Amino acid sequence: MGREVAESCLDGVVMEMVSAYCSRFYAAKPELAAGRIEAIGFQVGHQLSERYTMDRPRFSDHLEAIKFICKDFWSELFKKQIDNLKTNHRGTFVLQDNHFPWLTRVSLDPSMESTDATESDSASLGDTAAQTTTMLLYFPCGIIRGALTNLGITCAVSADMSNLPACSFVVRIKT
Amino acid sequence: MIVCVAVVGHQNNPLYLQSFTEADDALKLHHVVHCSLDVIDERVNNPKRNAPTLNETFLGLLYPTENYKVYGYLTNTKVKFLMVTTDLDVKDADARNFFRKFHAAYVDAVSNPFHVPGKKIASRSFGARVSTIVKSFGSGTTV
Repeated sequence: MGREVAESCLDGVVMEMVSAYCSRFYAAKPELAAGRIEAIGFQVGHQLSERYTMDRPRFSDHLEAIKFICKDFWSELFKKQIDNLKTNHRGTFVLQDNHFPWLTRVSLDPSMESTDATESDSASLGDTAAQTTTMLLYFPCGIIRGALTNLGITCAVSADMSNLPACSFVVRIKT
Repeated sequence: MIVCVAVVGHQNNPLYLQSFTEADDALKLHHVVHCSLDVIDERVNNPKRNAPTLNETFLGLLYPTENYKVYGYLTNTKVKFLMVTTDLDVKDADARNFFRKFHAAYVDAVSNPFHVPGKKIASRSFGARVSTIVKSFGSGTTV
């Protein structure tokens, strides 16, 4: 019924989109690039949540919706579920993924960079890679925010990547 | 025979409104759809204690007027589908089947990257799909 595409193509498109926005469209203004990437993720999440909630009964509260994101939504997107969900029961949720598929090929070790890098200082090399990874993570943040907004929950989502390839998404619900 | 279908967004903004009769009472049908929105809000906000369908998407018969029956369906994203029919006996399964197909068509229309969420659905293929679904309603065919 639907046409299929190789997963590596999707990975390639996402990486190229992030790199295009960072280095070509908004090269001097990383905040604008981050905002655009998050907005793209927002629209994607909005439309995907419409599709994946099709055959389900309605959610009774915020926790049900977040659990839907952790289990069904994440497995539709990445073929795995969120590994750990923590909450403070006051509107903040931390979704931890121990092996985020889009980050598995990212290495932040500056000594592994090859000779086609222009910076000579290895510390700034690590910074550039960290900045690009942060930009890449704005996209799934936008996806989560779009999906939750479509379910009626206004929130802010941020990502934390202290140890790759695990990363956690912090969802703060605005009440 | 279905005379009108409508899609209403979560702020009660109309996203799609289509009548299938040649007569001039399209406005009356719009008015009937509008009144049914109130019934939906009432059903959702005051769930009856003995109704097991608290979280179901299909809301069932909302509003029987003198000629028409209005059926409602509420998605997870608070989008409401309404169907006005002149049939006297509508099987529950037929109505559910209709809404299932309609929901699939709606999801495909909304996944269009050129569609702005909150604006009216302007896709011709969506209109064509809806016409097909409406024509096959009640004749017992399953797709």
